[in-house]
Amino acid sequence: MSFLAPLFAIGLVALAVPILVHLVHKERKETTPFPSLMFLLRTPYQHSRRQRIRDWLLFLTRAMVFLLLVAAFSRPVFDRPPDAQAAALGGGRELVILLDRSFSMRVGDRWTRAQAAARQAVDGLGPADRATLVLFADQARAVREGTETRAVLRAAVDSSTPGDAGTRYAPALVLARRTLAESQLPKREVIVISDFQRSGWDVSDDAKLPSGTTVTPVDVASADVADRAVRAVELRRAVVDGRERITVTARVSNVGPAARGIEARLEVAGRVVATSRLDVGADAGGVVTFESLAIPESPQQAAIRITPDAVPSDDVLHFVLERAPSIPVLVVEGLTPGSDREVYLQRALEIGDRPSFDVSVRRASQLSAADLSGKRLVIMNNAPWPTGDLARRLQEFVNNGGGLLVVAGDAVTATSWPGRASGLLPAAPGDMKDRLADKGAILGAIDRSHPALSVFGGAQSGDLSAARFYRYRTFQADSGILARFDDGAPAVLEQQTGNGRTIVIASSFDGLWNDLPRQPVFLPFVHQLAQYASGYRAGRSVYEVGDPVDLQGVGPAVADSTGARGLAYVAVSPKGNRLRIGGTQGEAALVPAEAGIYEVRPAGEPGARPRLVAVNIPGRELDLSRFDPTRLTHSVSTVGDSIDSGSSPAEVDLAQRERKQSVWWYLLLLAATLLVAESMLAHRLSRHRITPVN
Amino acid sequence: MSDAARSIQEARSTEGVPGRTFLDPKVLARIDDLELVARFVVEGFISGLHRSPHLGFSTDFAEHRQYMPGDDTRHMDWRVYARTDRLYIKNYEADTNANFLVILDVSGSMGYGTSGLTKLEYAKYLGACLAYFSHRQRDRVGLVTVDSDIVDFVPPSAKHLNQVLHGLDRAKAKGRGSLAMPLLKVSESQHRRSILLLLSDLYEPADKIRDALGPLRDAGHDLVVMHLLDPAELNFTFDAAGTFEDLESGERIPVVPGRLRTRYTELIRDHLVAVEKLLGEGRIDYLMVDTSKPIDEVLFQYLLRRERMQSVR
Repeated sequence: MSFLAPLFAIGLVALAVPILVHLVHKERKETTPFPSLMFLLRTPYQHSRRQRIRDWLLFLTRAMVFLLLVAAFSRPVFDRPPDAQAAALGGGRELVILLDRSFSMRVGDRWTRAQAAARQAVDGLGPADRATLVLFADQARAVREGTETRAVLRAAVDSSTPGDAGTRYAPALVLARRTLAESQLPKREVIVISDFQRSGWDVSDDAKLPSGTTVTPVDVASADVADRAVRAVELRRAVVDGRERITVTARVSNVGPAARGIEARLEVAGRVVATSRLDVGADAGGVVTFESLAIPESPQQAAIRITPDAVPSDDVLHFVLERAPSIPVLVVEGLTPGSDREVYLQRALEIGDRPSFDVSVRRASQLSAADLSGKRLVIMNNAPWPTGDLARRLQEFVNNGGGLLVVAGDAVTATSWPGRASGLLPAAPGDMKDRLADKGAILGAIDRSHPALSVFGGAQSGDLSAARFYRYRTFQADSGILARFDDGAPAVLEQQTGNGRTIVIASSFDGLWNDLPRQPVFLPFVHQLAQYASGYRAGRSVYEVGDPVDLQGVGPAVADSTGARGLAYVAVSPKGNRLRIGGTQGEAALVPAEAGIYEVRPAGEPGARPRLVAVNIPGRELDLSRFDPTRLTHSVSTVGDSIDSGSSPAEVDLAQRERKQSVWWYLLLLAATLLVAESMLAHRLSRHRITPVN
Repeated sequence: MSDAARSIQEARSTEGVPGRTFLDPKVLARIDDLELVARFVVEGFISGLHRSPHLGFSTDFAEHRQYMPGDDTRHMDWRVYARTDRLYIKNYEADTNANFLVILDVSGSMGYGTSGLTKLEYAKYLGACLAYFSHRQRDRVGLVTVDSDIVDFVPPSAKHLNQVLHGLDRAKAKGRGSLAMPLLKVSESQHRRSILLLLSDLYEPADKIRDALGPLRDAGHDLVVMHLLDPAELNFTFDAAGTFEDLESGERIPVVPGRLRTRYTELIRDHLVAVEKLLGEGRIDYLMVDTSKPIDEVLFQYLLRRERMQSVR
């Protein structure tokens, strides 16, 4: 016989109560009045310790009640032969072990305990059982699916280690749901071995498990945690004496019961450039600010390190020190020199800082192929389409990922842009439409979901409809229209050509055809269109493990033998692993799995200057606060399913057998019956007790 | 019907021997009016069972005797003289001129009881009943409450029933008890032969009790001793071990009842036997009263015994 809750055996100590009551005859504190001690004084004195047990039947009844209660609460389970167990359980079971390998599992002995729990679950597998081991952090991966061999599962558990990623339970539960749904075995179980970080569970996650699934959480988190970490970094840029300088500020946390003095070091390219010290209270945070430093010409890896503790991975925060991004732009003005029509556009581009625009201006008549070198965007500001080789170079420029922004004023006609500029324009320029008579047109329909105009989708984000368009060029197009005038004519058009794109604005920026340049919304309007047309994507100085890193623009496009085009990169992880990314194999996005600095180069260019990607432990993972595992088990279980409250995996089988046998129920019933008998017996005996009137 | 009367009826109907009803002491305890209790109890009995120890000149003719010089000529039976020409004097049985004195022990031990009434309360009812009963026979009734001395005294008188009842009512159990001194004082104060009813738990050695009663017996009083004991005192049915405290002296001793019970009951039985034997030898009427028994049952037994004794006498 086994017991599910053997600790309740401590309750046997309570047996001393009836023994003391019946044997020791503890003397009452209150005295018993008696008329005269004349005769009592003539009898020999009897000490209480010399007494023997009285009322044997009552004593045995009370002792039996205690014994039965202790036995019932200990949840006895009768052992059966393995075959009988399997028969009692109704056949094999499908077991899914969800093993958390997120960063927080590195804290203390969590991972050791988690591995032990997983091994215990594996050892508890019966001959007819199947098991799947799912390792999960922010993503889930079935290491061994539907395996019946314990050795294979044990090897998978032994070889796995916690990573740097954050915790998310939903992917693991979805994977478990899929596995269980496909199973034909009558019993389904899920064992969740984790530290149950609060940040990993979102109650809105749809992760219901199939009906009848038993969910058993195994909490391996220890109560007391002490950890210091660098939580975040902020880079403030400023231009001093014509040079860009940066001030680094870091936020440091101290989780634990004791205040700490923390030394923080700022490292650039592996060299300590600044040191600061601060005192952080218990379970508190602090901010450390270093002196500003000049930004190097080329991007450099940088880090903030604090005094190492038991979990060193979060004692460093990596980032990349580089100049603010800039978009090289070539503005091609029309044929009329000396005009101040172009002043609006040029001034608008000069103002931008994140990113800034590196503007070069050329007259259409002076434009050469060399002007396109290094540019990411060409703005044809009411200029005619060039002819000859220059037109071909422009077309190649766009096909290779460059951007073309066409401001269609009076100089942009079907004649000056023949053949839709070799197909770069989404539609051929039509006639000019004059709306002076009705005080101009306004933008009637704007696709605010489009990335180029999405910033205007929010409240108080700029009123594009405030501008009046007195004249505009008509385009006959059915698709790629980002905005329309109030008469339905396209106002902003887009066309993807190769890896680049063309944006056409069907009116001028000279302040004559419209008053848009004099509207406040003009500046963000131009910036957004220029950024979008150039393919600019805002980069980040700091990424977290699991964040996709957009690598577009790191290198040129490559072509494989099938003609399919894609961008391929080679990334070197912080641990030195080489990863091939993109190409024809998939998206050109790096999903880092390690904290540290990734070096990314275009494939086939080992000598090229790498792009540095700083990756850190997810901030939410550093929040070690926990949640009640029963919240998760209740959320994923269908109503009526059994939920275990958090016992070890080996006890799961025991718990099932105990639930099946339910011996405790009979013991309680017997105890209740004996209690009634005890009450009657005690009452009968107490009727003979003497109570003085006084 | 008043509440008290209703309680009496209830008391009569609670329990009893077939053909008789006895008053439950617990019910009587709910009645505050001691006179009412006494009247109801007594009127349930036969009346006039006891005889006066003196012959006198009342209305009930007893016998004739020959005239002797000096006899009161008012009691001469002239009809007999006319018929026989001899002088005879009429003797009458005097039944209204006895003193009935209740001697109530009010020592602390009398305040004990486990069966609804303390011994003192039980004794009050008994004393009140018998005083009322005697008063109905035109006896003079009085009361003496004693502990180790005389506490209260109501001299016997035909008009003192109410004072006797009031004296009984206000008696409280306290103090140490010792019969020798107060009984000696009673014997010195009562020159007229009386019926003396002693109500006590007699927690003294039997020989001391005999010695204490000796002066009263020697003075020619008719002594009746009612020995009141609670069932717990008789059987010692205590269960839990604990400290027992003497109600009179305040002395405390640890007691394990289970081990003492046998020896204790032996001692108390021996004491009862000794008391009964010694008092019987001194021609003192002795009655052991279990306070759990109905009062009228005790009265019934007492009066029957008195009747038998009168017959013997």
